[in-house]
Amino acid sequence: MVYWILLQKSFMRNMQYKVAHLINNAASAIFGFVFIAIWVGVLQGKEHESPYSALDMTYYIAAVQCILWLSGFLTAGLNIQNGVRNGAISLELVRPTNFFLYVTSQEAGRLLYNFFFRSIPIGLVFALTVGFYVPQHLPTYLILCISIFLAVIISINLHYLVGISACWTTEIAWAHFVNFTLLVGLGGQLVPIDLLPAPLSFITPYLPFAGAIYYPVMVFLEKASSEVLFIQLFWAIFLTLINLWLTEKARHKLEIQGG
Amino acid sequence: MIEAYMLNKHFKIYETKKGFIGSFASLLSTKHHIVKAVNDISFSIEEGEFVGYIGPNGAGKSTTIKMLSGILHPTSGEIKVGGLSPQKRRKEVAKKIGIVFGQRTQLWWDLPLRDSFDILKEMYKVPDGKYQQFLKLYDDMLQIGKFMDTPVRKLSLGQRMRGDLAAAMIHDPDVLFLDEPTIGLDVNAKTSIRAFLKELNQKENKTILLTTHDMDDIEQLCSRVIVINHGQIVLDGTLEDLRRNIGLPSVMEILYRVKPNISEISLNGIEKMKWEEEKLVIDYDRSILSSPHLLQNVTKWGEPVDIQMKEPDIEEVIQKIY
Amino acid sequence: MNLYIKLISGSLRSRMQYKMNFLVSSLSYGLIMAVDFVLLAAILQRFDDVKGWNLYEVGLLYGISSVAITLYRVFCVEVHNFERYMIEGEFDSLLIRPVSPLSLLLTRNLDLSRIGGTIQGILILVISIIGLNIKNVELFLLLIYLPISILSGVIICFSLGLLTATIAFWTQRIKDFQTFTLYAPFNAANYPMNIYPGWLKIIFFTVIPVGFMNYTPILFLLNKGGTLWNLALPPAVAFVFLFLSLRFWHFGIRHYHSTGS
Repeated sequence: MVYWILLQKSFMRNMQYKVAHLINNAASAIFGFVFIAIWVGVLQGKEHESPYSALDMTYYIAAVQCILWLSGFLTAGLNIQNGVRNGAISLELVRPTNFFLYVTSQEAGRLLYNFFFRSIPIGLVFALTVGFYVPQHLPTYLILCISIFLAVIISINLHYLVGISACWTTEIAWAHFVNFTLLVGLGGQLVPIDLLPAPLSFITPYLPFAGAIYYPVMVFLEKASSEVLFIQLFWAIFLTLINLWLTEKARHKLEIQGG
Repeated sequence: MIEAYMLNKHFKIYETKKGFIGSFASLLSTKHHIVKAVNDISFSIEEGEFVGYIGPNGAGKSTTIKMLSGILHPTSGEIKVGGLSPQKRRKEVAKKIGIVFGQRTQLWWDLPLRDSFDILKEMYKVPDGKYQQFLKLYDDMLQIGKFMDTPVRKLSLGQRMRGDLAAAMIHDPDVLFLDEPTIGLDVNAKTSIRAFLKELNQKENKTILLTTHDMDDIEQLCSRVIVINHGQIVLDGTLEDLRRNIGLPSVMEILYRVKPNISEISLNGIEKMKWEEEKLVIDYDRSILSSPHLLQNVTKWGEPVDIQMKEPDIEEVIQKIY
Repeated sequence: MNLYIKLISGSLRSRMQYKMNFLVSSLSYGLIMAVDFVLLAAILQRFDDVKGWNLYEVGLLYGISSVAITLYRVFCVEVHNFERYMIEGEFDSLLIRPVSPLSLLLTRNLDLSRIGGTIQGILILVISIIGLNIKNVELFLLLIYLPISILSGVIICFSLGLLTATIAFWTQRIKDFQTFTLYAPFNAANYPMNIYPGWLKIIFFTVIPVGFMNYTPILFLLNKGGTLWNLALPPAVAFVFLFLSLRFWHFGIRHYHSTGS
């Protein structure tokens, strides 16, 4: 299976830099400590006004810092824009492989690497310092796996969407920035989305960004019902279909215009 | 003008470990061996000399140039460039020398050539009048006027080298260090650059030190040759001295339609013959055996399909000096 | 000075060749900070304050810290990206000029796309000062002191950047260090230092002294504690730190002169 090989190769390519990444993990943890300190400071003496205790928020931020490496910090545009710029994309689109899977399997390999060499070490740092939540109920683990899986699919698709848009716009810096800002801002990276001000807190639960970060974290903390999986599933399928359709559109465009 | 006395440059090569932490671990480890990149070199170059500084890769050429220009400090020994030590008075020496690295441009990549010159003019504090003279003179000599307003990244390799050469001369230095100025250029570009360097040396009386892998550069330009190998000078003399040692090494490649059956050829001047399928490669000495004479002979042996003259590899030439 | 103007205008012109890209990236850097601050505002709107600091007070810290680091990113871009000179061996070409390598680096380039972040930071400062609604002498003192605070911040940031760059003489690559020595500390300095656990506070007041640039003086200026010394410390710390980083830089250059790698 060619996509499995691509996934492995991408995993191994990242392995070369694992020591540098481990040092970077320490910095990532410091970012986490800063966010935790903000919440602990904010909630001091005000825990009764908040649906979350200081400890809840510590667990929340720690879990977010880990999952960001799976569904937050993806390659901009999954590098599709480079292929568009140097023309290689016309070649890649006519290969007998499925272009969508060709691109996403490579990113998946990187994310698998991130899981072992970023998420887990960062999680360990938090576990040893401020504590890390351990789900109490066995079914949670199964639901969590599904939720993270769906989160990764949603995020890969969001980034693919940005990347494939390069076929029409060539420049994606702007699109990537908007996507990333929405992802961390409305995905609950610093603020759980139910604490956002009024109009936002009604809309954000139904947007894909919550599905990428907020829901898996809430599932992990056992603060969300398993129904959130359906919201995630909807977005995962919807975005995949959109991307497959856009890929076909892009192929047509390149066939007609020759790139 | 340039003096080097008992110059040494030793590098400690630490056992390097791979990776990021490795680079730290190697910082602390004391395991190393010493490489003598330059080993007791002495020479003295007078004003107006054009010296070719040649040797195989890794012989110590670049290390020497870097020491002469103040980039590297010698482990021991004395250097004087225009009477000053580049180690102690780097900035003053920088004003007296011009440097061109053939592999790397020193022009501002995204800016037109003119802007690079303007910046360098300020950097070296060249007065306006002199600067105008410079622009005119170098347009005459290098025809840079045509592409003065083109961004450097859009210039051809030959144009860029001309720009780099002019940029190195902007402060009218007495000494010029050229590290492989003709590398990668086509024949036309090489010819125009050589003509320029010759003029610079003869009319302006500039002292020039040139490293190259191209024997033609040496033969056409240099009055004196210093050959370095394994960090030591193996020959320091005139072009004639070099010839006496190595002759005029040349290579001819002849492709025959059918490989002729020639067992022994005794032509005076042939140093090496090698068959590659139907192709015969001959190393010969042009000072003993002229090319037309050799040509006559090779056509007698069989029916040539193609004949090519090639430049000898400088690495092999140096080996002959021993 | 003339040289500086020439170099800067050159850098500007080469940037302008990619106008669209330039506009987009400067907008991006500004907005990403805005979103960050809006989220903070969302928290503080709901919970009033963080350990006694309300939104506008935190805004002062936030503004100073982000203006400082973005000014550093604008003016010291080549110091920040110094590893390129080591990896591509370009440092040699700085050593053949009759000017010090550091001045060449500082004058070589400007990253104007970061100016969006600076403007964002200034806006946050303006909003915060208006929101604080302080009067007379105190306001006057604050306005007078802000530039000093920002300048101290830029100097501290530059010193940290230079220290990190110097490491490249030995390790070649420094990008991973920068997250550690610049990004994380300056992110932390957006918020009041009293929220952090002791070991973090120690770091931010010693080896990575970002706490001095904004927290120390603002503490006094907002009558939250401290003495007049709080106003003298930031520039003093900044210059001592600058001196140390320059010493280390020259040590690095001497190392380069003898090893050339």
